[in-house]
Amino acid sequence: MSSFDIGLTGLDAARKGLDVVANNIANAATEGYHRQRVEFTPAFARQDGNTMMGGGVDISSVTRIIDNFLEQEILRQQSLLSQSSQESSMLKSIEISLGELGSGIGLSVAIDDFFNALSDLSAHPDQIAYQNQVLSAGEAMAGQFRTLGDFLNDLELQIKTQVENVVDQINSLADQIASLNENIQRIEMNGSEANNLTDQRDQLIMQLSELAGVQTQAREFGVVDVSVGSVPVVTGTTSTHLEAGLKTETQLGITPAGATVYETSIDGGQLGGLLALYNGTVDDIHTDLDTLAASIIQQVNQYHVQGVGSEGSFSELSGRTMPTGSIGDFEPPVSSGSVFIRLTYTDPVTHAQTITRHQIDIDPTTDTLTTVAAAISAITGLSAIVSSNRLQIQADSNYKFDFIPAALPEPTDTTFTGSPPPEISVSGIYTGDENQTFTFTVVGSGEVGNGTLELEVRDGDNNLIDTLNIGSGYAAGDLLDFDNGIKIAVGSGTLNAGDSFEVDVFANTDTSGLLSAIGMNTFFSGTNTSDMSLASDMMDSPGRVASSMGTDLTDNGNVQQLASVRNLEIDDLDSMTISQFYRKLVTDVGQQLSAKQTVQTNNEALMQSLINQQSNISGVDINEEAAQMLVFQQMFQAMAKYLGTVQNTISTLYEIF
Amino acid sequence: MSGILNTTYNNVSYSLARQSSVFFRLQEQASTGDRINRPSDDPSDAYRVLTLDTENRSLETYIDKLSDMSNTLDTSSSIIQQIVSAINQVKVNTTQVTSGVYDQASRDRTAEAINDILEQIIQLANTQYNGQYLFSGSNTSTVPFVAEYSNGEITAVNYQGGQDSRSVEVAPGVSAVAYFNGDEMLRSDQRDTPVFEGTTGAAAGTGTSSVTGNVWLTVTYNGTNYELSIDDGATSVVVPTSGNENVAVTDSRTGKVLYIDASGITTTGVELVRVPGTHDIFNTLISMRDILKNGRNLSDAQIQELRTSSIDSLDELSQLLLQKEVSIGSKSGFLENMKSNLESLKSNNQDESEQLKQVDIAQVAIDLSRQEALYQMSLAVAGKIMSLSLLDFIQ
Repeated sequence: MSSFDIGLTGLDAARKGLDVVANNIANAATEGYHRQRVEFTPAFARQDGNTMMGGGVDISSVTRIIDNFLEQEILRQQSLLSQSSQESSMLKSIEISLGELGSGIGLSVAIDDFFNALSDLSAHPDQIAYQNQVLSAGEAMAGQFRTLGDFLNDLELQIKTQVENVVDQINSLADQIASLNENIQRIEMNGSEANNLTDQRDQLIMQLSELAGVQTQAREFGVVDVSVGSVPVVTGTTSTHLEAGLKTETQLGITPAGATVYETSIDGGQLGGLLALYNGTVDDIHTDLDTLAASIIQQVNQYHVQGVGSEGSFSELSGRTMPTGSIGDFEPPVSSGSVFIRLTYTDPVTHAQTITRHQIDIDPTTDTLTTVAAAISAITGLSAIVSSNRLQIQADSNYKFDFIPAALPEPTDTTFTGSPPPEISVSGIYTGDENQTFTFTVVGSGEVGNGTLELEVRDGDNNLIDTLNIGSGYAAGDLLDFDNGIKIAVGSGTLNAGDSFEVDVFANTDTSGLLSAIGMNTFFSGTNTSDMSLASDMMDSPGRVASSMGTDLTDNGNVQQLASVRNLEIDDLDSMTISQFYRKLVTDVGQQLSAKQTVQTNNEALMQSLINQQSNISGVDINEEAAQMLVFQQMFQAMAKYLGTVQNTISTLYEIF
Repeated sequence: MSGILNTTYNNVSYSLARQSSVFFRLQEQASTGDRINRPSDDPSDAYRVLTLDTENRSLETYIDKLSDMSNTLDTSSSIIQQIVSAINQVKVNTTQVTSGVYDQASRDRTAEAINDILEQIIQLANTQYNGQYLFSGSNTSTVPFVAEYSNGEITAVNYQGGQDSRSVEVAPGVSAVAYFNGDEMLRSDQRDTPVFEGTTGAAAGTGTSSVTGNVWLTVTYNGTNYELSIDDGATSVVVPTSGNENVAVTDSRTGKVLYIDASGITTTGVELVRVPGTHDIFNTLISMRDILKNGRNLSDAQIQELRTSSIDSLDELSQLLLQKEVSIGSKSGFLENMKSNLESLKSNNQDESEQLKQVDIAQVAIDLSRQEALYQMSLAVAGKIMSLSLLDFIQ
C-alpha cells in the first residue's frame, strides 16, 4: 500500500512545515531568534517493474538561517558599542560635576574669585571686609576642590563595584553557556538539531559581548568556546570564573579566580570601558586635579608663611599634626636649607624695639621636629615644643616673632674707625631672587656730607653693583636707593677709607620649605584635592591673612605676591598657569567625551546596519511565513484529497466483488 | 519591501532615538540661547570661552580697583587744593601784616589765625577715604600726622605713617600709587644751600647740611671765641680760630647738622637760617606763627624781613603742592583712561564670548521644524509599513 505511505509522508511533511512556520511566527519578536526552515528530500524510491517510483517525501532537517561571519561582526561591534557607551556615560557625569559653562558655578570661577579677592585685598590690606572675602573665597575654592575630589573618589569606588558586578554577570553567563553547550552537544551527538538551544546560547554570548569583548571558537557538535581577553571563560562544557582586583594601588584588573594574573586592559564591553576609565581617564583627571590643588596649596603657602597679617607678628604659632620620623618623609617635601626667624623685642618701658634675625638650618635626613624645636628654643625669647607631633612656637613676654623677609633696620658686621661713627639705617624689601649679603665699603675719608666720600656696594658674589655718594651733595639721613628694593640712610658722622658694613637681604626666609610642610603660618592645609582646606587657625582670624612683608608690617607686598601666584607658570603644571591648566583639563574632558560620543554614534549606526542585515537574513518575515503557510496548507489539503482518491479507488475495487 | 518585523522595528526605534537626541539638543539650545552648554559641545571654542570668562572676571576686579584708586586720587587732589587754599589764606593774612601798620596785638591775632589754619591743615592731611588715611603711605590705618602741644599751641607735627607709598596693581603688570607718604607729600625735597637771614655774618659752609626747613642759629661769644647753637643753646660748638669755614653744628634734638662758614661772623645774635627746598608745611606755619608772636624779641625790621622770607617759603610749598596736585590729577586721568581701555577690552571679550557661545536662533527654529517633519515622517512611514500584512488578504 505504497500509495497510502506516500500520502502519509506528504501529510506529515505539510504538518511539520506548518509547525516550523508557526514556530517562526511565534518567535518573530524573540530577541536572538534565527528563522528556521524545514528541509525536504524525496523519499526512498521503490522499483515497480522497470519503473522507479518515488516513495513520498522525507524531512531531512530543520535548519537555522544564519550568516556566521555577520554574527561574529555583530558580537565585535556590540562590544565596542558597549565600551564607548560606558565611557561616554562616565565622562558625561565627570563633565557635569566639573560644572563649567553650565548653570552651576565651576571651579574656574572659584579659582578666579580667590585670586581676585587677593587682588582686592592688595588695595585694602588692613580692612577686615577684604580679609574676610579672601578667607571665604579661599574656603569656597578649597570646598570646590574637595567636592570634585569626593566625586572622583566615589566614581572610582563606583567603577570598582561595577567591575565586580560585571565580572559576576560574566561568570553567571559563562556557567549558562557551558551548560547549554553540554545540552547542545548531547542533542547533536544523537543526530538531532538543537536550534532553539543554539539560539539561546548565542543570545547569551551576545549578552556577554555587551559586558566584555569576547572571542568565540566553534567546535564539533555545535559547541562554542568563549574567551574574555586572554582568559578562556568557557571551554566546551566547563566554565572558568573571573575575579576583579587591584594589580597595583591604582590599577584595577581581572584575573582567573584564584590566580593573580591581572589583565588591566580589556578590549570592548562594559568591562573594557570601566577598566579604561579606572586605569586611564578617571585616574588621569584625578591626578591632574590633585597636582593642581597641590600646586595652589604649595605656591600660596610658600608666600603666606613669610608674611604677616594686620594682626602683626606672632606671640605663638602651631603647625599641623605631622607623621613621626624624619623631616625628609614629610609631604610636601622638605629640602636642605634654612628657616630665618625675625624676632622683635619691645622694651616695656621705653617701647624701643630691637629686631634680630635667627637662622635655623634644616637637614631633612637627620632633623626631626624635636631637633628643630630644640634649635628654636635655643634662641633667647623663643621656646618651641612638639606636642602630638605638632610644632608649637611660643614667644616670651615682650617678644614677637615672624618670618618676613624685610631687611633688618641695622646693618651687620660694621667696621667703623671714624669718630663719631654714623648711624646706618636700612629699610625696604629685597626684590631679587636669592638670599645674599651686600657689602658696603667706604671710599675716601671724612664727615658724611663732605668731600668725595663714597660707598661701594658689592653683592654676594663680590660684584660691584653700585657706588653711592655720601660726600658733598648728600645730606646725612637721606635715603639711598640702589634699585633692588633696599634703601639705606647714612647718618652724620665720620668714616674712613675701608670702613665697611654688611646688609643681609632675603628673597625667601624658608629655603627648606619646612614652614609650608608643617603648616606653620600657612593659608591652606592639605596636600591634594580631597583634603584641601583653609588652615584651621586661619578660619576665624581674618587679621592673619598675610598681606605684609615690610618692616612696619602695614604694606601690601605679600598679598601682591599671593595674588601674582595666578600668573606663575608652574613646572608641575607643565609650565602653565593655574587657570590655563584647569581650562585644559576641563576641555580635555570635553574633547574626550565629544570623541567618545562620535565613536558611539558611529558604532550605533554600524550596529544598526548589521542588525538590519541580520534581520534580513535570519529574521522572521510574517508575510513570507504566511505565504509558506499557504503552500503547506494547500499541500496538506492536496495530500488529503489524494488519500481520499486512493480510498475511493480501493472502494471501487471492492464493489467488483 | 522586505516586511521583516524586526528590521522595521529596529529602523523606527533607531531613527526615533536619533531624532529625539537632536530634538533635545535643539530644544536646549533654544531655551538657553547657547550653542555651548558644556565643554564637549565644542571643546576648542569652550577653551576660548573659559579663557575669556576668566579674563573678564579679572578685568572686572581691575576696573573696580581703578575706580576705587581714581576716586581716592581725586579725593587726595581735592584735599591738596584745600591745603593750597589754606596756605593762600596764610599768605593773605601775612601780607596784610607786612604791608599795613600793625601792632603786636594785631600780629598776635594773625598768629592765632595761622594756628587755626595749621589745625585745619592737620585735619585735612589726616583725611580718611573709605576708612583709610590718604596720606599715611602704606600704613593706611594709622593717623599720619600727630601734633605736639605746649600751652595749647602746636609746637611740632610728627609723621607716623608708613615710609613707603602704597602701590597697587591696577591692570596686568601696571601698578599705581594711591596712598602717598604724607611726609614726602607736604615737604619739598629740592635741597638748596642754606640762607642766613640775620646779620651775624654766618654763612653756609662747604658741607651738605642735613637740617631742614627753618632753624634758629644762636651766635654767642665766650670772651675768646664765638659759640654756635641751633638748638636754642642746649648744645653749642666753639668756633675755632682757624679752619672755621665749615663748622658742623648739630641740633641735639634731631641729630641733624648745619654746616656754617663762621669765618665772617662779626657779631652775636639770633638769626633764622632757611634751607630752601626742604620746607615742610607744618614747620613753616609754626615758624611763621612764632615770628609773628615774636617770642625771640626780634626787631621790627627783622620781623619784616622774616615775614617776607617766610612768604617765599610758603610760595615754595604752594608751588610744590600744585605740582603734586597736577601729578595726582594726571595719575587719576591715566587711571580713568586705563579704566576705559579695560572696560572696552572687557566689552570686546564679552562680545567674543557670547558670539562663541550663542546659538543662531533662526537656524535652531529651522532645524527644529525640519526635525519635526522628519519625526512625523518616520512615525507615518513606520505605521504604514507595519500595518501592511499578507494575513489581511488570506481568507
